Amino acid sequence: MGLAYRYTFQRRLPYLLLAPSVIVLLALISYPLAFALRNSFWFWNLQMGPAPLYYSGLDNYRMVFQVTPFAVALKNTLLLGFLGTFAQFWFGMGIALLLHTHLRGMGLMRAALIMPTTLAPVVAGFLFRYLLEPKGGLLPWLLAGIGFPVPPQGFLGNANTALFSIGLVDTWQWTPFFAIVLYAGLLSINEEIKEAAQVDGATQWRMFWSITLPLLRPIAAFLVMIRFMQLFNSFDLVFVLTSGGPGTASRTLSFNLYREGLVNYNIGTTAAMTWIVVIIVSVIINLYLFFIYRKREW
Amino acid sequence: MSKQGISRRDFLKVGGAASAALAGASPLGSLARVAAQGDTAINVLTVGDPWDLALQSVTDQFTEATGITVNIESLGYTALQARLVNAFLTQSADADVIAVDQMWISQYADNGWIRSLDDFISMDSDANFDDFVPECLYSLSTWRNSVWTLPIASYAQGIMYRTDLFEAAGIDPLPSSVADAGMWTWEDYFGILEQINGVDLDGTSMYGTTVIGAQPVPVVHMYSQLSASYGTRWFTQFPEAPWDFTPTINSDANLAALNDWKRLYELSPPESINYLWFDAGTRFSQGDIGMFYHWTPYFYLVNNEGYLTGTPSPVVDKFETAVLPTLTAGGDQVVSLGGWSLGMPSTSANQEAAWQFIKWATGSEAQKAMGEVNVKGYQFADFSRQSNYDDADLNAIYPFLGTQLEMMKLGDGKVVRPPAPIYTSLEGVYGLQINQAMSGQVSSEQALGTTQTLFENILRGNQMIPYGVDSFDDTLENTKALQASLSGM
Repeated sequence: MGLAYRYTFQRRLPYLLLAPSVIVLLALISYPLAFALRNSFWFWNLQMGPAPLYYSGLDNYRMVFQVTPFAVALKNTLLLGFLGTFAQFWFGMGIALLLHTHLRGMGLMRAALIMPTTLAPVVAGFLFRYLLEPKGGLLPWLLAGIGFPVPPQGFLGNANTALFSIGLVDTWQWTPFFAIVLYAGLLSINEEIKEAAQVDGATQWRMFWSITLPLLRPIAAFLVMIRFMQLFNSFDLVFVLTSGGPGTASRTLSFNLYREGLVNYNIGTTAAMTWIVVIIVSVIINLYLFFIYRKREW
Repeated sequence: MSKQGISRRDFLKVGGAASAALAGASPLGSLARVAAQGDTAINVLTVGDPWDLALQSVTDQFTEATGITVNIESLGYTALQARLVNAFLTQSADADVIAVDQMWISQYADNGWIRSLDDFISMDSDANFDDFVPECLYSLSTWRNSVWTLPIASYAQGIMYRTDLFEAAGIDPLPSSVADAGMWTWEDYFGILEQINGVDLDGTSMYGTTVIGAQPVPVVHMYSQLSASYGTRWFTQFPEAPWDFTPTINSDANLAALNDWKRLYELSPPESINYLWFDAGTRFSQGDIGMFYHWTPYFYLVNNEGYLTGTPSPVVDKFETAVLPTLTAGGDQVVSLGGWSLGMPSTSANQEAAWQFIKWATGSEAQKAMGEVNVKGYQFADFSRQSNYDDADLNAIYPFLGTQLEMMKLGDGKVVRPPAPIYTSLEGVYGLQINQAMSGQVSSEQALGTTQTLFENILRGNQMIPYGVDSFDDTLENTKALQASLSGM
């Protein structure tokens, strides 16, 4: 075996070893997307027939906007995604900083924090459905006790508070996840950097913005991206808590997809909606990555 | 449309071997015909409704009589539909007997996913097919002049009201029979609600009523009753031929109904805008609702404090049932008739055993046995057979059966919620608009205008306007004729 051949082989070996995984991964991603793309141009409604009936051009895309409450679902989904991620990040950051103070009882707190994230969202949904029940629910009772205006139809039954309530339950469940991961990030920061800043007279506030946050940036950026995508696909909580109501007040894109796909069995429209969602999420995530990592390699 | 039948030869092979055992046998004796199948097992997919609990409690009787093992699996409504459709699309023999919602019949039958039961019925005299209440068959089981399923639980709608509250408020009892309901109108109904709303009864501030407000399906189930009583029809012509699915949902009658529906909501707990079926029933059983209308299973379910809990509710012996009012005194009435039936997937490998089970479970004896099951209270009175309504034992347990049967006889499941193809898509947008009107997000006029537009878009998008497929004159009279024909009459 010649030296040049061995060199070439060794250079290509990693690619060869990676190839099966990459091919399988691409197939798993691309096949369903390609299948959905093809279906999005066909009239295929299982209520009308078991197989695609005819090529329908862009009709399914038109139906998404004409028949389903797509615009309001998109608005709700974006609100839930952005506000939920924002709230969970900052609450999580606050808790992580608190854990990092090494106060008494923080060990127990760390163990307890993980508990909400271990609950299935459906279970959390049912739990809060009872807690938010206007007739006898604990939260309305407590809030009414401190003079907070509780809507007569309950937080889940009021068009102004239903989506907010879903976000609140999601925040209750997933803030600890942020807290624990950010706490792990805080532990990884070299204390000497902070000590040097302290010697230079930096305040705690300045140290947080100039040292802690920048050093947490890679992990925080990843966390935010993952949670935003999860929130963008929120279904379980919406289904259990409000079923998208009242009216369309808490309707999300995932709930729209569920209705169109698993209730109406309109495969063509569902496929078109899937592709619209894929495009929206891809644009948001790529813009996010561009701004977060534009000066870094990732 | 595919309509499969078993061959006469196959049927006679099984039937002939058992025919000698039929004469003079006990009610279950006729099932001995399949005893030879010995180790046969069938899989039954049902839905977690109250009747399922009763059915599971008596299924051993079927196994004892036939030797056929029955594996019952209960799923939620959406899960059942998803599982069935997946099984049909992949042509896998997931189950031998399935619970079918009346709204799925047209889809399943037209796609050939379930098989017609006509041949089984016509060749099996002990099916006692003529005993079924025709309105139940018509609403739950027939499509294009074939019987695809047999009803196992039929639901009409009717009124429940608090007798102690009525007495305290000096209001006369409501009519429990159509014969006594000549002057009983929806305006009377609203008048009573306004009179009892806010009344203090033994320290409890009463709501006049409660609605089922959750969108999209639950609210349609309750609203469509009021709307149909007011004369609303969904389409220009259906189920009578020729079918014309041009929507007529934005009508003066429906506008009046929606405005009155909002009045109903104003007399209900505010949170009922999110109520599912059992939420409304449970609220009545908790004691602060004066009167409401609902599906007839709640005639017995409200005896429980919670849904199927078995704990007696505070309203036991304090409520009565009544017939629904009409729009005008002595005017026409149409009652929502829904429920569940049992069908046979075309892919079933045990079709004879499956038929035996369907026949048994929907038969008069098994239905009576289900009605007599007393686990956590009596939990089944959703009969579809005249003989069960005439049964003295059952009437002693369920004293409201007379009222329920009268509502059934006025029932028309093909008008109130027409089981036309793509019904579920229409119901989805309709329920959403009603709910939005209740919450004040849109006006009644806007809600119905939007519904009309969306109906047209959906129906045109699905090639239902104009309707290019053959229609069938799907009337109650034709179902009665089919029933007589299959009964050998």
